[in-house]
Amino acid sequence: MTNAAISVDKLNVSFGDSHVVKDLSFEVRKGESYGLVGESGSGKSTVLRVLSGLNREWSGAVAIEGAVQPKVRDKAFYRNVQMVFQDPYGSLHPKKTVDDTLAEPLAIHGLDNAEARIGKALSDVGLPASFRFRYPHQLSGGQRQRVAIARALVLEPSILLLDEPTSALDVSIQAEVLNLLAALRQERKLTYILVSHDLSVVGHMCERLLVMQFGRAVEEMTVETLAARQPHTAYAQQLLTASAGFRRAG
Amino acid sequence: MSDTSSPGLHAWLISDSPESRRQARLGQLYRQWLAFKRNPMAVAGLAIIVLLLLIAAFAPVIAPFDPIAQALDKRLLPPSATNWFGTDALGRDIFSRIVYGTRITLVIVLLVVVTVGPFGLLIGAISGYYGGWVDRLLMRITDVFLAFPRLVLALAFVAALGPGIVNAIIAIAITTWPPYARVARAETMVIRNQDYIAAMRLQGASQARIIWKHVVPMCMSSLIVRTTFDMAGIILTAAGLGFLGLGAQPPMPEWGAMISAGREQIFDQWWVATFPGVAICIVALGFNLLGDGLRDVMDAR
Amino acid sequence: MASEQPLLEVDNLKVDFHTPTGIVRAVRGLSFTLGRERLGIVGESGSGKSMTGRAILDLIPHPGVVSAERMRFRGQDLTAMDKGNRRKLRGRHISMVMQDPKFSLNPVETVGSQIAEAYRIHRKAGPREARERSLAMLEQVQIREPARVYDLYPHEVSGGMGQRVMIAMMLIAEPEVLIADEPTSALDVTVQLQILKILDDLVTERGMGLIFISHDLHLVQSFCDRVIVMYGGKVMETLPATELADPSARSRRHPYTLGLLECLPDLDHPRAKLATLNRDPAWLA
Repeated sequence: MTNAAISVDKLNVSFGDSHVVKDLSFEVRKGESYGLVGESGSGKSTVLRVLSGLNREWSGAVAIEGAVQPKVRDKAFYRNVQMVFQDPYGSLHPKKTVDDTLAEPLAIHGLDNAEARIGKALSDVGLPASFRFRYPHQLSGGQRQRVAIARALVLEPSILLLDEPTSALDVSIQAEVLNLLAALRQERKLTYILVSHDLSVVGHMCERLLVMQFGRAVEEMTVETLAARQPHTAYAQQLLTASAGFRRAG
Repeated sequence: MSDTSSPGLHAWLISDSPESRRQARLGQLYRQWLAFKRNPMAVAGLAIIVLLLLIAAFAPVIAPFDPIAQALDKRLLPPSATNWFGTDALGRDIFSRIVYGTRITLVIVLLVVVTVGPFGLLIGAISGYYGGWVDRLLMRITDVFLAFPRLVLALAFVAALGPGIVNAIIAIAITTWPPYARVARAETMVIRNQDYIAAMRLQGASQARIIWKHVVPMCMSSLIVRTTFDMAGIILTAAGLGFLGLGAQPPMPEWGAMISAGREQIFDQWWVATFPGVAICIVALGFNLLGDGLRDVMDAR
Repeated sequence: MASEQPLLEVDNLKVDFHTPTGIVRAVRGLSFTLGRERLGIVGESGSGKSMTGRAILDLIPHPGVVSAERMRFRGQDLTAMDKGNRRKLRGRHISMVMQDPKFSLNPVETVGSQIAEAYRIHRKAGPREARERSLAMLEQVQIREPARVYDLYPHEVSGGMGQRVMIAMMLIAEPEVLIADEPTSALDVTVQLQILKILDDLVTERGMGLIFISHDLHLVQSFCDRVIVMYGGKVMETLPATELADPSARSRRHPYTLGLLECLPDLDHPRAKLATLNRDPAWLA
């Protein structure tokens, strides 16, 4: 148990009549990168929202680094767990400069040395210092996503929740952002949960993954199993085949 | 700062890599100004408002006569070289009265706006952000105020508080805030579901902080636009109250009251009611044009 | 394909946007011909791929200006045609399917009546015939209970079904050319394949010409016959799709195409670090 960064036990989430996550249990080891894979409606993003405390309507047990989490998280929780969103155009406040965005978490948590921390956060995600006072509309999608990653890291968390962090980006930009995420993880010994519909991205970034469908866990597998295309369940096999591209019958 | 057309300043303002917070903010404003400048109607609206401010500031210099000094031997004179807009039933120079009237109009508009804007914004933002029973309670209160026609409600308040310019301002303010709360609430309900607000919650920000520092700035632009559109309505309501004798009291040169005073002579001495009416029209038009221009600039990201 | 007249011939197509800050060249000199085939146009955002599709349909929004040395549809000169005739061509002979059905369907009308209306605009048909044709069309895009789906509103159908409805609507007038702009990127992979299957059958059975606009190299290479690779409004290269997948042909590829292929994560060739794309200004010269 001590080795688990995140453990989820019999998680259930319902919105009104629809039961979107059903009896889900999994465990993520410290320093591991763990993928949640599924199609729309599989509940994969909802799981992230529960872990992050954004969603407060759930039952079951969630423990972060051994500590059982209440529905409403305290401020200290967010020093340790941060999230990067899918849409870089929606996740930055349009009227705040990069500097404002990065200074805000420091102000909330009363951290000193804001100047130096912001400068370091920018250079860590590979943005030049001259970008510091730009507004989001002066940045490209990839640059915005770097700012969002910098915002998540400025509090120096140990767990990063990634919700389709590159699916809104062009493939060449995706490669840059994935490389950045991989390098940061290695440098800071971070634990990742990566939600994605793209098996090759998960295959590149993760050690283990969980395939979900209609809110249930279908199959947990290692990346080796994925690369060998030898899942045990029909659904996982179907996903793998589908993502290989179009095949003309006959 | 003296030479706004210098290429150095222009480049500094539109720089893609500002070096300070101040430069970034100013640059943002400057870009909006450049966009605003491209709309001739908006610039005309701005010119009218600036002219109004200048007239109000220099009223004693501009007005040839004392606006409240009566001269019964000069009653109801038609427009002439001495009395440009003629004189009223008490022999007062109408041009001078209109010039001084700009001050009253501006005071009414400003007082209403500074009380109504923030109040409506706060009610709307809180209502929209929290939802649930908070929303229901605040919106039902808003509905009560919205249910009455504005002028009728203002009339009721003035009737209760007693006629006078201050009471007229209070009455107009009380009847003006509900639409602001509605607009702010609608905006907030969209904003609160955005990822950047979720991101702030994930930074551990308190709800007050999120509303004040992140939701309110996003509502600002639509409220500013709404305010400029409303200015015309506020002026007209004030004029309406003045016309009914419930706003500014004699001998104050308030435009609505002036029209009211001229209504008996409207066919024989047309100038008494016409010139203040034209003044109201021009100012209302100016604010509307300005609002149109601001909307185009502020909605563009 | 070689013997008959091409469906579309485009020569030196340009789309310029005159903005206050200068001219933005969205498409700069694109030439291609389309036969009864699946032609893919791939590129990243800002490559001008979507603008190309819109320019052919005369759907470029206001500050945009389209010019071309030649743009012909089955021999008819599109550049010389007036707006009214271009409009008549649109939908009846050349159609377009866009990325998100949510924004392309009228939310207050049932999907069936929208398909029927599309039919009646282009073919002078009575309401009963239009309904029957629409039901048949829904069946053709593999909707299981056409009669039930006919009476649904757009918000009541899933993304995949919405896209099928769009395709049914676009194809009911039996156009010769279909332009599909990212038709499957908003959909799940399994649904994506079903939609592609429908499009594929339509090309083979009806002899339709398909322009398939996408950012997804893998998808285009597995689905199309020929591929145009665009970058910054220019064509980098045009090649048979089979060559994209062929590792031995890699050395002959344009560096941009190669760069795009290299930076995709690949399950079969895991790498610690993904290759990134170095953009050469000379490509746009």
